[in-house]
Amino acid sequence: MTNEILIQLLAAFLFTTGFLVVLLRRDTIMILMGIELLLNAANLSIVTFSKASNMIEGQVQVFFIITIAAAESAIGLSILVNLYRNFGSIKTQKATTLKG
Amino acid sequence: MSPVIIILCLISACLAFTMLFAKSPITSALCLLGVLIMTAGIYGMIGEHMIATIQLVVYAGAIMVLFIFSIMLLNLGESENEFKDKPGIFVLGIILGLSVFGLLAYAIVHYFNQPTIAKKMGQFTPELISQLGGNSKVLSHALFSQFYVSFEVISLALLVAVVGAVVLAKRKID
Repeated sequence: MTNEILIQLLAAFLFTTGFLVVLLRRDTIMILMGIELLLNAANLSIVTFSKASNMIEGQVQVFFIITIAAAESAIGLSILVNLYRNFGSIKTQKATTLKG
Repeated sequence: MSPVIIILCLISACLAFTMLFAKSPITSALCLLGVLIMTAGIYGMIGEHMIATIQLVVYAGAIMVLFIFSIMLLNLGESENEFKDKPGIFVLGIILGLSVFGLLAYAIVHYFNQPTIAKKMGQFTPELISQLGGNSKVLSHALFSQFYVSFEVISLALLVAVVGAVVLAKRKID
């Protein structure tokens, strides 16, 4: 068992945990954090595979993914602030109407 | 197998598990921060210094500050136990998660040393990278020569996202 397999197993575990956070938690902010965890697990996997096969394209892609994740979380959190302003709660059950 | 990587992996897995079951969102956010810092440590340990720095500055710095700031702005307290009201969905989710992890782990352990992966090696061996002046230099050179169109498009996307976030979050003037 080498370092690469261990890190890939960690990435699989982090992916599963983020998946469960997105599925099971009811807070919108927890769902956003779960998405960040999923992206982080995917990044870890891409970088380790790219490093193990002596390439550099994976690291460049991960650089772009991190940038897009920053943009995504900024947009998501501003939507969340709007949700809290309109419904008084950020639970997913409370957001039942489309018109705020 | 390096012992530092094993320790970082164990701490990271424990923090991710705590994040799933923590009651208050601030505990989850701090656990996620720990996971991101441990991941940056793993990147550093396998020699990806540029990605480790970006992970620390952008993920653990900017994004998590944004999360903790909005938790404090919305004044979120402890939520009531979310797993008690629907135990069926909880059990179903755990079974689904275990099966996803089992399939991924089986695929990794079983297929990792297959010859198809070993054949397609790139040209950037560790010797070549150290000869060219280190990981950060090689990565930055690729970023500004081979991938410069993507880099510019990403910066444009980031600008649009910032403007969109400001427009979405500002109060409506009635």
